[in-house]
Amino acid sequence: MNEWSFGRRAVMKAMLAVSAAPWVLHSRAFASSCDDHIVRLGGVTAPDTMNPFASWNVYWPLVFTYDWLVGVEAQRYPDRKGFAKEWSVGDDTLTWTLKIWPEMKWSDGQPATARDAAFTYNYLRGSMGTPDELSVGWNNTNGLQNVESIRAVDDETLQIVTKVPTRWPIDHHTMIVPEHIWKGISYADARGTFRNDPPLVGTGPMIVSEFQQGQFVRLTPNAYFRTGQPATAGVIFHLFNTADPIAQGLKSGSLDYGYGLTVAQWADLSKDSAILVGESPVDQRDYLAFNTASGDGAGSTKALQDVAFRDAIGYAIDQKVIVDRAMRGHAAHGVGAIPPTHANFYSDLSDIRRHFDLAEAGRRLDAAGYRDTNSDGMREDKEGNSLRLELITGSGSGNLVIPVAAVQLIAGWLGQIGIPVSVTQLDPGALDARTAAPEHGGGGWDLLITNSYPSPTPQDLLGFASSKQIGTGNRSFWTNAKFDELLSEIETSVDLEKSKELVDQAARLLYTEAPYIMLSYPFLLDAHRKDCIEGWGTQDILSMNTYFPLDRLKPVNQ
Amino acid sequence: MTHRIGQILIRAIVTLLMVAILNFILFRIVPGDPARLLLAGARTAVTAKQIEAQRQRWGLDRPLIPDQVVDYLSATLHGDLGFSFKFRGRYVADLILERLPATIVLVGLAQFIAILCGVVLGLYAGWRRGGAIDQIATGASLALYSTPSFWVGMLLVVVFSTALGWLPGYGVYSPGATIGFFDGLLDHLRHLALPVAAVALGLIGQYVVVARAAMSDVVTEDYMVTARAKGLTNGQMLVRHAFRNAMLPVVTLVTLNLGYVVAGAITVEAVFAWPGIGGLTVEALNARDYPVLQGIFLLLGASIVIANLMADLAYGLLDPRVRK
Repeated sequence: MNEWSFGRRAVMKAMLAVSAAPWVLHSRAFASSCDDHIVRLGGVTAPDTMNPFASWNVYWPLVFTYDWLVGVEAQRYPDRKGFAKEWSVGDDTLTWTLKIWPEMKWSDGQPATARDAAFTYNYLRGSMGTPDELSVGWNNTNGLQNVESIRAVDDETLQIVTKVPTRWPIDHHTMIVPEHIWKGISYADARGTFRNDPPLVGTGPMIVSEFQQGQFVRLTPNAYFRTGQPATAGVIFHLFNTADPIAQGLKSGSLDYGYGLTVAQWADLSKDSAILVGESPVDQRDYLAFNTASGDGAGSTKALQDVAFRDAIGYAIDQKVIVDRAMRGHAAHGVGAIPPTHANFYSDLSDIRRHFDLAEAGRRLDAAGYRDTNSDGMREDKEGNSLRLELITGSGSGNLVIPVAAVQLIAGWLGQIGIPVSVTQLDPGALDARTAAPEHGGGGWDLLITNSYPSPTPQDLLGFASSKQIGTGNRSFWTNAKFDELLSEIETSVDLEKSKELVDQAARLLYTEAPYIMLSYPFLLDAHRKDCIEGWGTQDILSMNTYFPLDRLKPVNQ
Repeated sequence: MTHRIGQILIRAIVTLLMVAILNFILFRIVPGDPARLLLAGARTAVTAKQIEAQRQRWGLDRPLIPDQVVDYLSATLHGDLGFSFKFRGRYVADLILERLPATIVLVGLAQFIAILCGVVLGLYAGWRRGGAIDQIATGASLALYSTPSFWVGMLLVVVFSTALGWLPGYGVYSPGATIGFFDGLLDHLRHLALPVAAVALGLIGQYVVVARAAMSDVVTEDYMVTARAKGLTNGQMLVRHAFRNAMLPVVTLVTLNLGYVVAGAITVEAVFAWPGIGGLTVEALNARDYPVLQGIFLLLGASIVIANLMADLAYGLLDPRVRK
């Protein structure tokens, strides 16, 4: 029989080791404290470069360093302006005059003028039609085809003349970059290998000063920010692959703010008195799309091309239950293409809205000729084939994930009205391949549940039904001449009221034709600690299309 | 012996060549168009022109066979792993070399600790079968061996980082802290502690189970009875007969596991936001970044082939029968 025995020497060694532990564990570097006045953020994101011309995946963190010229948020909130302080359009509805902030400076102390803005746009325009057109990143040539000229009248005045009336000059989100940094970069490098390594030079409140790929981005306050240097000592933006470390970091105090939390993490954090949780509407829409293609890429039945069939299915989907049960209340229930965040254009479509009623769905399917004629429990289409649909699902890369429960609910409801559904869950890459344009090998599915995260402009919000975007944004392959015409009018409309009217017409047409059925507009779940930093705002999230609120955060009790 | 080593080397080279070819084919079978995925996150209308521009930029518009495959094999044979799509033209070799140290430190240290603790504990438990240490070690090892390392990692974070606040739960070091070299080193060690523990605990379980079983087999062999009958002491029996024979399966496991050092611990890296090869693999896979994936898998293949090579050679040293 073996016996346990410890020598005195071993015991002494163990005691020494234990006594050293607190010293190791609590040395200065790790000690989390509020003393350094640095804001620590955490998000599920992976920027791949700091070059806004080369990649879309730069929003975080460049939104804090570079300004938009105006942007949608600046039109909503008087305290969130971009590179331009004021703007107006002439009576010809083509000539826009934008007044740049007087005496504004780049973070390196150089004057930031209308010439920099003109350079940014003319740099993009100069690449148009060349083999190295700057069309692959956040800063791209999209929209510039409608521009006649862009020039700096003087240091504080930028003039944009468009070929057709359009709100593009104030609605787009191009990052304005300094001419003295970018003028020597070739187009080939700008859209390829130029990494724009920190420290960057920008006009935003926080300037990227260090980028460790896959780890963090460090930002330092811009001493020349137009409303004054931010009160905090800087920002560390930690980059994560999952939200678990974010939730734990918030609890332990090593993070001040985190977004992209799961419902369970959010609920857990809400019990912590040092933490304030928030849920914010964003521009994402979760939707069901029908494959309306005929010919190549068509689904398993022609019923998918029939408005009456799609409309009937709309009665078999209960958005309220999806939000309450699958999303546990952290979303607004889906109605039309425009999410409620867009107050200017949102309509609840109450006069034409479908209401969940499985019996009504069944009656409409019967009336449209989709009956169960052989009593096998499955409806048949007009060709006599049993309706057995393939539903593919998956979330777009970087989007908030659609809960599996939502898909299961829909499959269940369709089964109850005699349309069995087989569900295939796909990763973003495979989903993208299946929903590509038929000429690129896409299609062949019947139903699709996915999401998109468009920019907050009406043309982008509605673009997913444009025939020009089949296989890219338009995943239902739906085409409608009237809708395209409306979209074209929206794109060339300067007057906001006129735009509202046109958007409403387009949204109604889309709703009644039902190539898409909106399921939900999910909320982004976030949380911040209350002990070190204040000024986060309420009912708003970090950087909803602007640098907000990094310009106004300050240490607690300062 | 030289002939045997030559055979092993030729086998290794052929295996590596097959790995390289399979790499090229496998990633292209997986559905997903990198040109479209590079535009993921686009919040304005993506046009067909933009997708085509991406294809041209990254050479995806050229025929897969023979252009792309010939280029790939030729470049790989010249040691050029190409450039990344996702990371906008950065050389794959640079990206891998940038992430490799973090993984080698994490998994290498965990392997070292696990080998040291696991093998010694396993051999001891097998030598003293039925004792208290054997019972405790075997029970704990089976539990650790069967628990996913990411789950162990999450528990460690909850206890040591969130609840006790002793150790950081993510990252490699504390960015933004103005500290000297010594504090910086300590800071790094503190960041290493939990992920290393998460990887090492599972490996310790694995080593204990295998080493104990090997030793248990050895102690019942006839030659051990003979050795005892010849009057050898326990120590002499352990060192001269038991240890060397029991090490054969352990060496196999250790060398094979060493091959996986560069592969990292993907799930553990995700839990601790550790910027190693595992994290790079996930990012590259999400973007269908073929060159980076090919580079990583070639490296992984090479490390496993080399580990096997080492195992074969070590066998020869440990077991005279193999030499013949």
